[in-house]
Amino acid sequence: MRFVRRIFFNLAAWAVVLAVAFPLFWMIVTSVKPQFELFRRPPTFLPDTFTLEHYARLLIDTAFLVYFKNSVILATTTTVIVVAIATLGAYSLVRFRYRGRENLAFLVLFTYLLPSVVLLLPLYLMLVRVGLSNTIASLVVAYTTFALPYALWLLRSFMAGIPEDLESAALVDGASRLGAFWDVILPQLLPGIISTALFTFILSWNEYLYALVLVNSDSARPLTTGVVNMLVSAFNIEWSLLMAASVMMSVPLIVVFAFLQSYLTRGFGAGAVKG
Amino acid sequence: MAEVVLSRVRRDFGAVTAVHDLNLAIAEGEFVSLLGPSGCGKTTTLRMLAGLEFPTGGEIRIGGRVVNDVPPAKRDIAMVFQSYALYPHLSVADNIAYPLKKRGVPRAERRPKVERTAELLQLTPLLDRKPRQLSGGQQQRVALGRALVRDPKVFLLDEPLSNLDAKLRIHMRAELVELHQRLGRTMVYVTHDQLEAMTMSDRIAIIDQGRLQQFAPPQEVYHAPANRFVAGFIGTPGMNLIEGTLSQEGGAWCFTAPGLRIAVGQLTDDAQAGPATLGLRPEDVTVGAGPVSGIVRVVEQSGHENIIIVEIAGNERLTLRIPASILPRTGDTVALAPDATHAHVFAAGEAGQRLNTATARPRPQTL
Repeated sequence: MRFVRRIFFNLAAWAVVLAVAFPLFWMIVTSVKPQFELFRRPPTFLPDTFTLEHYARLLIDTAFLVYFKNSVILATTTTVIVVAIATLGAYSLVRFRYRGRENLAFLVLFTYLLPSVVLLLPLYLMLVRVGLSNTIASLVVAYTTFALPYALWLLRSFMAGIPEDLESAALVDGASRLGAFWDVILPQLLPGIISTALFTFILSWNEYLYALVLVNSDSARPLTTGVVNMLVSAFNIEWSLLMAASVMMSVPLIVVFAFLQSYLTRGFGAGAVKG
Repeated sequence: MAEVVLSRVRRDFGAVTAVHDLNLAIAEGEFVSLLGPSGCGKTTTLRMLAGLEFPTGGEIRIGGRVVNDVPPAKRDIAMVFQSYALYPHLSVADNIAYPLKKRGVPRAERRPKVERTAELLQLTPLLDRKPRQLSGGQQQRVALGRALVRDPKVFLLDEPLSNLDAKLRIHMRAELVELHQRLGRTMVYVTHDQLEAMTMSDRIAIIDQGRLQQFAPPQEVYHAPANRFVAGFIGTPGMNLIEGTLSQEGGAWCFTAPGLRIAVGQLTDDAQAGPATLGLRPEDVTVGAGPVSGIVRVVEQSGHENIIIVEIAGNERLTLRIPASILPRTGDTVALAPDATHAHVFAAGEAGQRLNTATARPRPQTL
């Protein structure tokens, strides 16, 4: 009986894994098949002929590298800004006592609850008015507005877990407030900072809607909209190029994930319990 | 140089006053315990001394300098926290070296100082470990080391032994006393454990509800408690407190309660005939012969002595400490003789002041 149950659970688990992993597998396979093999019936699971021509074409003949560079700048800048503000903000919310501290935290969370579509138009109009339309900076501002609330709450729960005595000890040992923050709080907060950074980076790397609305010049476009704009037209979708682009878009995330995975799961745990 | 003086120090948290106009003068090199139940304001007082908390009124002086607005780093104090507060990401050596580093001691000078401190506390083999790889007792010693390494004017210790097991606590207690004798530094020690306070301190400041109750050497606190709170708080088992009436008969004071009548000797001018409280230490009543009779309700044997609870008239229960050689049985009727020279008299009410004129018991002689 137990044996049957184990088999059943294993099958169910593998079915889920398959459902999630198959599109990824298909993406990779499609990207290395030659064009003529794509629509063959019956379809080939593993490519008959292996080719990297789509990758070469993307890198050499298209603006892919520009988009890639834009995405890196965009995601990195957003991450740095969000982590810096959220760390200091969380420190203030946890360590200092001032009127309206809790209300402020909830107000911030409340803005996170608004659907991002609602904010799209007002934000667009504001960015146009300050002359930031069509720039990477406009996207940095937009992403910061919706990554910051969550980042603040995530870091707040991490910060609350750091004993106040540690900071007191540093102060007595001769550190200034800033010194204590730097020497003692930051190292303790590192897992929180890493998971916040990952969250923000992934969010700004994958975002599509704001990128589509706020930026329509090729020089400032990030990967998400850039690739679609370049390869999908009303008459034709360049499937193999699209898949090659998708693979290359996913690689940085997968690499980062692989290295920082343990921090990330810890981060989500902390957020789940206290946030 | 490093005396610590608190004058009318007050600390309010909103509408709550944690410390009421506290006056305390701690001499240089003295070991003083702040003793009291949880929430009595002793830790707040210590944190104010450290500069981690600021007084809402009054003045704090360390070594003659008013430090009310001086940040902790500039007070030349060291503190050991109840939680030890070791920096988890630093090795033992770096933990101990941190105060030196923050005061700009060059790296080359830090190393020998850290090594000397580690040797003093038997931490040398552990210098490269991280705090989480240490036992509670070892962590405690690292916390001490971090305080010692800098040779500060004043040591502040916030219940440093409360997280250790009983055996280690007794061991560390002796080590701390020895350390204090060797360094000769002023130490302020917060504890809720009266045994720690009694065994380690030169003087004990007993605090209740943010107010100083008594500030005196351990023997005096025990033998001449300033009021009913101190009497009930100090001593295990606690002092027997009996409600009754005080009366004056031919110039001598006499205390009466159901089944009990005792001449109490000299009292202060504050003494009035009327309701009062009598205090009797468990060891100040002899069992066997005497004017009071009672029924034994509980017998606890601890090897070197027996503790018995005897019920006398008026349902009053007395806890008594008797030699191990005397072993009554539960239900026995026994005769008791309270030692009148060691009887304490307090004015009526929960906060009743001591009314005896002098310390009943002579100071112990030195050898």
